Parts: sequence; structure tokens; C-alpha cells
Amino acid sequence: MIEATVQLLATALALGSAYALTALGFVLIINAVGAVNFAHGDLVMAGGFVAVALSLLLPEGLPVPGLILLPAVLLTMAVGGAALAAVAYAPLRRSPPVSVFISTIAVGLILQHAISLGAGPQPRVGPSLVGDGLVDLLGAALSYQQLATIAVAAVLCLAVHTLLNRTRFGRQLRAAAQDPEMARACGIDLRITIGATFALAGALAGGAGLLLSNQYFVTPTDGAMFMLKAYVATVIGGWGRIWGAAVAALCIAVFEVLVAAAVSYLVAEMLLYLGVLALLMLRPQGLFGEAEGRRA
Amino acid sequence: MHMTITRSLMTLSAAVALAIGMPATAQADDPLAVSVLVPITGFLALEGTAQRNGAVMALDNPPEGVRVTYDVADTATSPEVAVTALRRALDRQKPVAIAAPIFGTQMLAMAPIADRADVPLITVSGTAKLTELGHDIVFRFFPTDAVVKVAQARYAVQDLGMKRPAILFQTTAYGQSGRTELVRVLGDLGVAPVLEEAIDPGIKDFVPALERAAAAGADGLLLQLHSGPTALAVRQAHERGFEGPIVAGSALHQPTTAALVEPAALAGVCAESASSPVSDSGAEMAAFAEAYRQRFEAEPDAFALAQYDGMNMVLAALAAGARTAEAVKIWLAGNRFQGLAMEYVSDGTGNMAHDAIILCYDGLTRTPVVRKRYDNVDGVR
Amino acid sequence: MRLAVHRRGLAYVMLFLTAGAVLLGAGDAYAMRVATLVGTYAIAAIGFQLVFGRLGLLALSQGALFAIGAYALALSSVHWGWPPVLGLVLSVVVPALAGALVAVPIARLESHYVALATLGLAQLVLLAVTNLEVTGGANGLYGIPPLTVFGFDLSDSWRMLAVVWVAVAMALCVFAWATGAGRAGRLATLRDAPHAALALGLDPISNRLLAFTVAGALAGLAGGFQALGLGVVSPAVARFDVMITLLAIAVVGGRGSVWGAVTAAAILVPLPEVFRGLEQAYLLAYGVMLLAAVVALPTGIDGLVRRVLPDAPAPTPTPAAPKSRKISVLRVERVAKRFGGVQALDGAGFDARAGEVTGIIGANGSGKTTLLNIVTGLETADAGVVRLDAIPLLNHSPRARAGLGLARGFQHPEIPGGIDVLATVSVAATLGAGMAALERVGLAGRARVPATSLGPAERRRLDIARALAAGPTILLLDEPASGLGAGERADLAVLLCALAKSGMAVVVVEHGMDFLLPIADRLVCLDAGRVLAAGPTDAVCRDPAVIAAYLGTESAS
Repeated sequence: MIEATVQLLATALALGSAYALTALGFVLIINAVGAVNFAHGDLVMAGGFVAVALSLLLPEGLPVPGLILLPAVLLTMAVGGAALAAVAYAPLRRSPPVSVFISTIAVGLILQHAISLGAGPQPRVGPSLVGDGLVDLLGAALSYQQLATIAVAAVLCLAVHTLLNRTRFGRQLRAAAQDPEMARACGIDLRITIGATFALAGALAGGAGLLLSNQYFVTPTDGAMFMLKAYVATVIGGWGRIWGAAVAALCIAVFEVLVAAAVSYLVAEMLLYLGVLALLMLRPQGLFGEAEGRRA
Repeated sequence: MHMTITRSLMTLSAAVALAIGMPATAQADDPLAVSVLVPITGFLALEGTAQRNGAVMALDNPPEGVRVTYDVADTATSPEVAVTALRRALDRQKPVAIAAPIFGTQMLAMAPIADRADVPLITVSGTAKLTELGHDIVFRFFPTDAVVKVAQARYAVQDLGMKRPAILFQTTAYGQSGRTELVRVLGDLGVAPVLEEAIDPGIKDFVPALERAAAAGADGLLLQLHSGPTALAVRQAHERGFEGPIVAGSALHQPTTAALVEPAALAGVCAESASSPVSDSGAEMAAFAEAYRQRFEAEPDAFALAQYDGMNMVLAALAAGARTAEAVKIWLAGNRFQGLAMEYVSDGTGNMAHDAIILCYDGLTRTPVVRKRYDNVDGVR
Repeated sequence: MRLAVHRRGLAYVMLFLTAGAVLLGAGDAYAMRVATLVGTYAIAAIGFQLVFGRLGLLALSQGALFAIGAYALALSSVHWGWPPVLGLVLSVVVPALAGALVAVPIARLESHYVALATLGLAQLVLLAVTNLEVTGGANGLYGIPPLTVFGFDLSDSWRMLAVVWVAVAMALCVFAWATGAGRAGRLATLRDAPHAALALGLDPISNRLLAFTVAGALAGLAGGFQALGLGVVSPAVARFDVMITLLAIAVVGGRGSVWGAVTAAAILVPLPEVFRGLEQAYLLAYGVMLLAAVVALPTGIDGLVRRVLPDAPAPTPTPAAPKSRKISVLRVERVAKRFGGVQALDGAGFDARAGEVTGIIGANGSGKTTLLNIVTGLETADAGVVRLDAIPLLNHSPRARAGLGLARGFQHPEIPGGIDVLATVSVAATLGAGMAALERVGLAGRARVPATSLGPAERRRLDIARALAAGPTILLLDEPASGLGAGERADLAVLLCALAKSGMAVVVVEHGMDFLLPIADRLVCLDAGRVLAAGPTDAVCRDPAVIAAYLGTESAS
């Protein structure tokens, strides 16, 4: 019983920590520009494929290919995120937010089909973070991969936290997100902060893609599912609350795994959406409260 | 400003002109047309692409004296797109035969329309419901669930000794149809599954299902999942230390599926299929596999081969003098054809394939070996 | 306005009739099938424009309602053997009811929450139809009989095309009805000016209910046609793809424009067909085109057409001053309000008498705006009494208070897009009354320009006119003079005095003493949520406490 629970929790945390990175990037963009980036799930998928593509360039038999590739994936996807801002956000910054909704849906379509065309429709397996192996914890067999996934996600979250709270640039990002007018008056260039936020979100999506690609493979059609999870997490965590969204993403994964193990996947998914609806009815500000003044 | 409007109008009129177009009119001595309508985007893109590749391989090498042209169009993931593609093909190409999607739901929508036009649909779709409609234009070159699920269940029960299997099936037409068939065959064998778990194609995490299977006392797993999920289930069962054999559906035999899993995780895992081009060492098959690799930079699978055989049978009908869709239909219904995978003959409802095989992996390579053949399962041939 | 709409509508009708003629003349069954699909999506998109375009709610349930319509038809004809015509009725009624049900739970929600709540509902519909026995699981339901009326087969290509496009015309009429009789202005006000809408007594719930019901009915009808056209219904109709198509049509067509939506449907639905020759790359090309369309046409197709064929000025109605009730006094007593840890109001109150201008002054954060909000019902008081003569107001809804003659102007006027100045002021009154109100504030000459084209000073006057149109007995204004030039301030002062003279009670919250002191009969000075002094203007101005706390610093600065 205990070993099964530990096993389930480890799986849920590994999956959930990747979802948390996804939600983190998603909510950063919401804060910066007040618009939903519907291509975010596809960015995660693209990150997975970038990892797969780069791993083909590495010589065989390296001990930690995933860790070696992590900076390159983050960088590539940061560029991808900035490109997304340039293509799908910048021309529409004076339009209603829903225009960005559509433009990012279009970018998602482009990403999905370009990758399917280039890499083929089959699922791919990404580079492993660390060597294969199992650790025994209370009778449950936990793979190195799972533990490494959790660790890398935690490090990335910490890095984002440090960037936002301890650096001048991070404070500028947050200031620009909270009050664009005031930030502009203070001499902050919003184009730069918004571009940087998209880049950061892209990098986080790339990181999540890399983490997921080895354990859970990556398919060009995966984007929609990641996107949905991030969206739900953002609302549960309180619209615009960065860490609320990340924690909520983790909770969603744990909830889904535990309910699926106790009853069934179907019930887990149904309860998740019913839960979201109930939450919206009873506590529209999210579990952790809504970030102030973010409601459009 | 005016430039924008002019340009928009030009684009619009070009689009309208293209969309309306002029229907092609066929001359008597023109080459005959074949349409390839398969899902090459969306969640069945892997299987659909194999179908397209197999069909194209056959159509590019017609027998002496047969001239065919062909068009490929995507049916994506909905009946709507499939029906639109079919209408377009029927109106614009006037095909004598159509390579049709593996996706059962699309076939259910296309069959009545093709029936009215009397054009044969050559498919690898295994969905049982298709037979119920009773259209005489559907020809299936992959054994239906009524054949391959018999092989899967019998092998699991009779050869591996499963008494309490757990079935994991996808919430798609493929998964639900296969599950119904599996339960029926298991019932005939006197075995009742201890768990039947519906799994959405987006689910990445099989540990809950494996835990529940173990808790229910399952002594083996029967999988009816698509490619990626099959690989996930096999790998996580290995890591989780699930004891008991696994017999997967035909998705596992696809080389792209096995490529996702370390060979060690595949040790002792088996799968049903109609054929396995990468396992077969016959000269003809090896030549096919090599040509396929050369052309598409991918490994051939049983869907590609079945579609290849099916289109070759159509070409054989044309070589035998069929010039119309109706003539092709009659020829397909009334003749035997020795394909690369097996011998095909209609059971009277267009089910052409009657053999299934069980493939198993040895844990050292990703190439399975044929462990057991179930020939003429439905007693038609 | 009517004529101008007709001019554009006429251009669209000509375009579609020409396209239809070309199609029937030269098109084959395939072209007609595509044109039928265009009509099907157009119907659902017309409904979506009501909810999304006009009410501004990103309701991602429209695709699911489409699916419910398709399944209603399939279930009734396949399982129960109903004739498809009756099935079509069902596929209108069931989604309309479902739409109404959707409207109720999300009626209180805003913006992104509406999107996620409706997305969640759509996911539940998808889960249900994929896994239920009765809906045929992932395979769906098949063998839907063709549409026949009195034994006459309508499923043939051009007949089905005609049926669907007649339904498009009907959908356009339904839309015209749903946005007719001044409702367009009310919907635009609810969408872009929610606070003003509340203060004007507009009812968001009933409008949402109507919009969702109509949108559901149209989505369902489209779904029914989809099922008839295909002969099968599968969970594919409930997937997000349908919703994306509808959303793309609405945005590319132009927010809120049905003609734009029909045109966009005629471009976007056949677009994948145009690129069909690209095999796998065609959806890539579709994505690129969609992105290009959204970026290049920020106001959509209708915005483009509107620039070519702008609204011709419509006739202006004869002004007709509204009848108003007679009251004598609004009495606000001991009102308290707490926000978190801040006591915004602590027993504040004032009297506003008919025929007088009452000024409320006080430093920033002294509770002036909160007091106005509580009187008009935008916020609830923790304690206190507000009476209009003998009628206690605090238990009444903002709508009821508006009905009793309370009207409100805002510090930052919210101006709805897509409607003209006259429509904006007439949302809660007749056009004649609106015209009379515009004359009073000196905007009569601008009656037929788009409200959003007004400058800041004109917007302020528009906001006051909107409040005046319904013939209020109490007019409460929040810093009406801020941002105005000297001439405009003088005009406003004359207007407010004239309004008071006509028997209205005018309450003005204001910082600018040079503006307020000459016109105010009485002053109330607030300080930290309490009344520092109240009485005739001269008396309050001489009050030492007021001079020390407020006026003194003001004159010194």
C-alpha cells in the first residue's frame, strides 16, 4: 500500500513538475500582456522536438545527454518565445486580447504541422537526463529519470524566482507587468520587457518539453493537452499569480494520478473539469486568491 | 489602402476560382485514376502515412500495360474532412478505386457515399461496425478485429496461460472496438478480464492503471492502444516491475513504436499483427522493405504492407481488363490475390485478410520474431 | 444608420448572390458540398457573434453546443426513428436550452474565467460523447437518414445547399431581431461599459440569457445540418477544432459583424481545400494564412469593408424630453464601508435637495467616490440608510434605483465601441430622449458619429447625456470638470445649474473649487470617511476645520 502510494506520488510529482514549468511560462505571459498564449502547449511540444533533434547531434554513450542539452534547449526556445512575441503579439498589441488568442492558435497550428512535416508524425523519445537506473524508496522503485526531472524543474523554478526577485532586470519585468503605464514613465522599454517575458516563457516551455520528452515521449499533436493543463492551473492558482499557477499544476498532476489509481482515468478527468467549474462558481478568485488588479 | 483592398480581392477571387475549379473530364484512353484519401495529419498521422506510403509504392509500379494516375489528400481526424475529400475525389478525379482511411469513424461516413457512386474503398480499417452497414464497396486488406483479436486473446490464454488479464484500451474507435472484440473472444475461451480501463490518448502516465491492474490481481496485460501509449504502457510496466506477460495490439509491431522503448523493456512482450515486414526474411519482402526505406526513410509496417497489397490487387484488376470502378469492385469481390503478406479473398462482405500473426521481442533487439501464425482464423479461405 | 447598414448589407448580399450563381452554374457536387459547409459554419458563427462579438464573452462552449445539436439529430433519427425534420427541431431546442443553462452559471463570471468555464463544459461534453454507450462511443452514430420533407429528398447537393443558405438568411434575421430595438446599444454598453450599464439599470443576466439561448439555437441548427450532411456524428464534432474554426471566423470577419462572419466563413472554410494539393503542408499553410489575416486585418473583414463603404449619416430623431418624477430630497445617513483593513466610510452622509446643486469635497481617499457607488448600488454598504423621500434604497438593485430616478456619471467614462453617440446615450431611454439629452450637453451635432471617435471632453459630456437621457431626478457626477478646458468648464457649470433649476437634485464630487463653489448650493466636506462639515456653501467655506484640512491647503497650493 505504502509502496504503491510512493510510486504514484513520485510519478505524479515528475509529471507535475514539468506541468508546473509549463504553467509558469503561461502565467508570465498573461501577466505581461494580459493575453492567453494558446501556442504555449505547442512550445512545450516544440521544446521536446528540439531536444530530440539536438540529441541526434551528440555522440552516443554520453552519461547525461539531457543535462548537457538543457542550456541549448532553453536558449533555442527562448529565441522561439521572442519570435512568437514578434510575430503573434507585437503587431496586435493595440487589438483586443482575443486577437492574440487567435494569432497564437495560428502559431500553434504552424508549429504542429511544420514539426510533423519535418520530423514525421511518429512519437519520439528525447534524451535521458541522467543514466537509467532505479532507486528503492519504501519498497517503491523510483527511476533516476523521475528524480532528475523533479530536481531540474525545481532548479529552473528557483532560477526564475531569483531572476524575478533578485535582479534589476527581473524587477523591471514585474514592474512592467503590474503597471505598464507607470513602467513606461519610469523609462522601462516595454518592447524589451515583453519580448524578454516571452523568451523566458519559451525557455520554460522548452525545459518542460525536454523533461517530458524522455519519460513520456513527444508527438506533434501533444500541444493541446499541455495547454489545457496550464490554463486550468492558472485559474485554480488564481489568475495572474505566478507561483499559484505552478503549485496548482503540481496539484493537478497529483490529483489526476491519485484519482486515476483509485477509480479511473475517466473519473479523474471528469472530476478535474467539474472541480474547475465548481471552483469558478464558488471561489472565482482561485484557491490562492487573484493577483491584485489583474482582472481584465 | 486601395492596394490592400485590391490585393485582398485578388486573393479572394483566386481562392474562389481554385475552390470551384473545373471538373476534370476523363477521355477513354486516359490513364485511370486512383485516389489516396488517408489521415496524414492529426492523431492517426502515423498509421495514415504508412497507408499512403504503401499505396504510393504500389501505384508507382503498376504492372505492364496499366497506366494509373493518383492524388493524395488528407482526411485528418474528422468524418467531415474525410467526406469532403471523398466528394472532391469522386467529382474531380473520377477514380476507379480509393485508398481509404484506417479511421473507422471516417469509413462509416464515407462508405454510403462511395456506395452510391459505386467506387471501391481499399482500406486497412479494422472496426467491426463497418461490416454491419453492408456496403459492397468496402474492401479491407488488414484482418479485422474479429481476426486479430482472436489471435491476441488465444495466444494470451492458450499459450501464455493468462487467466486474469487486464485490458487497457484507448477511448478511440480503434480502442473501443478492439476491447469489445477482446472481451467476446476471452468469454468464448472462458476467461473474464479483471480490469477494463479506458485511456484517453493524451494520458502519459500509466502507473495508476498498472497499480489498479496489480491490485485486481491481473496476471497479464492485453493492450489495445495507439503507438505512443503502447510504448508508454510497455516501458512503465517494465520499470514498475509488473509481473506477467503483455500482449499488445498491432501498434506495437510498428517499428516506430518499438524504437521508443529500450530493447530490455520489450523482453517477452508480444503483439498481434497481420504481418511484420521488418521481421520477414523472404527475398520479396526484403526487397519491399528495402525499397520502402529508400523511398520514405522509414521502416515499413503491416499497415503499409496491407495497403500496398490492396492497391496491387486493384492494379491486378486493371491488368485483367477492368476499366470502371464497378468492374474493379466486381473483380475484387470475385478473385483471389496472393499479396506479399498473405493471400487475400473476400468473405462476401469485403473482408479480404484472414490471417494473423503473433510477434514477440527477445529483449536484445527491437526487431520482433514471428512466434505464432493464426491462418484462416475466420474459416473463409 | 439603417440606410448605411443597408448599403453595406446590399454589397454583401450582391457578393453572395453572385458567388451562389457562379457555384450553381459551374460547380460540381464537391463545390456545393464545400459551399454547404460554409453555410453550416456561418450559421454557428452568426450565433457566436452575438455572445462573443456583441456581449464580449469568450464563450468556448459554442463548439460543444454545435456538437449537442448534431447528436440531438443523430439520436432522434437513429435511435428513436424520428424523421430528420423533427430531429432538426430538436437540434435547435436542446442546444438553446443548454445554452441558457450555460449562461446561468457563468453569468457572474468575467473575461478569462468565462473562457475557461466554457472550455471545461466543452471538455465534459467531449468526454461524455466519447465514452457513453448511447452516443455510440468514439465511433459515434451512423446511418442518419437523408433530409426529406413530404417525401421530397432534400439531401441532394444543390437542394441541401439551398436549405442551408435559407437557414443562413434566417439566422441573419434572428440576429437582427436579437440586436434590434435598441438591444445593440445595450449589448455594446454591457460589453464595454459594464459599470455605466449597471448604473443605467441594464440587466446583464437577461441579456446574457437571451444571447446564449440564441447562440445555442444557431449552433445546434448548424450541428444538425452537419449531421445530416455527413450521415454520421462522431466525437470529432465536439473537439476543439470546431471551436477554433468558429473563433477564427468571428475574429477574421470582424468582432460582432455577422456579414463579416459569413464572408470569413466563405474564405476560411474552403481555405484548407485550396491548399489541399500541398498534402501534409496544407494545414501549415492554413495556419500561416490565419496568422496573416489576424495581423493584417485587425478590425476584420467588416472593418475593411466599413472603411470602403462607411456609414452614411442617418437622420436624427426629433428631441423629446422624457417625463420625470418629482422628488424632494435624497437623504444619505451614517453610511459605513470597509475594504479589507481600510475604513473607507465611517458614518458619512449628505442630503441632496431637488432644485439644488450639492457639492461633495474632500481629499483623495476621503471616500467620495465610494459614497456615490453606494448610493447608486455599485457597491454595498456595511451600514447606513439611504432614502429617496420615504423610499429606502439600500435594499434595491441598481436597476431599481435607476428606475426610481437615480443616474450616475463617472470619473473615467466608459465608451462602448461599434455604436454611434445617439445610440450610446439612448441605451436606457428612447431615441427622442437621447436626442434631447445630447442637445442639453451640446453634442447634438455629433449624434451620428461613432462614440469612440469623441475626444476626452466630449466623452465626459456623452457620459452626462447618457445619465440624463432617462430623465433622472437625482444626478450624481464624479469629477465632471477634470480634464476640461476653461470654456468647457463654464458650459458645464451652466448646464448643471440649469438642470438643478429644472427640479433635479444634482450631486457633484469635485476637486476643482473654482468650478464647484460658484454653482454649489450646499457643500459636504468628507475627511477619512466622515463628514467634516456640511451646509450652505458659504458656511462650509468659512468652517475653520474645512479650511485647515482642505480648502486652506488647496488655496495655498
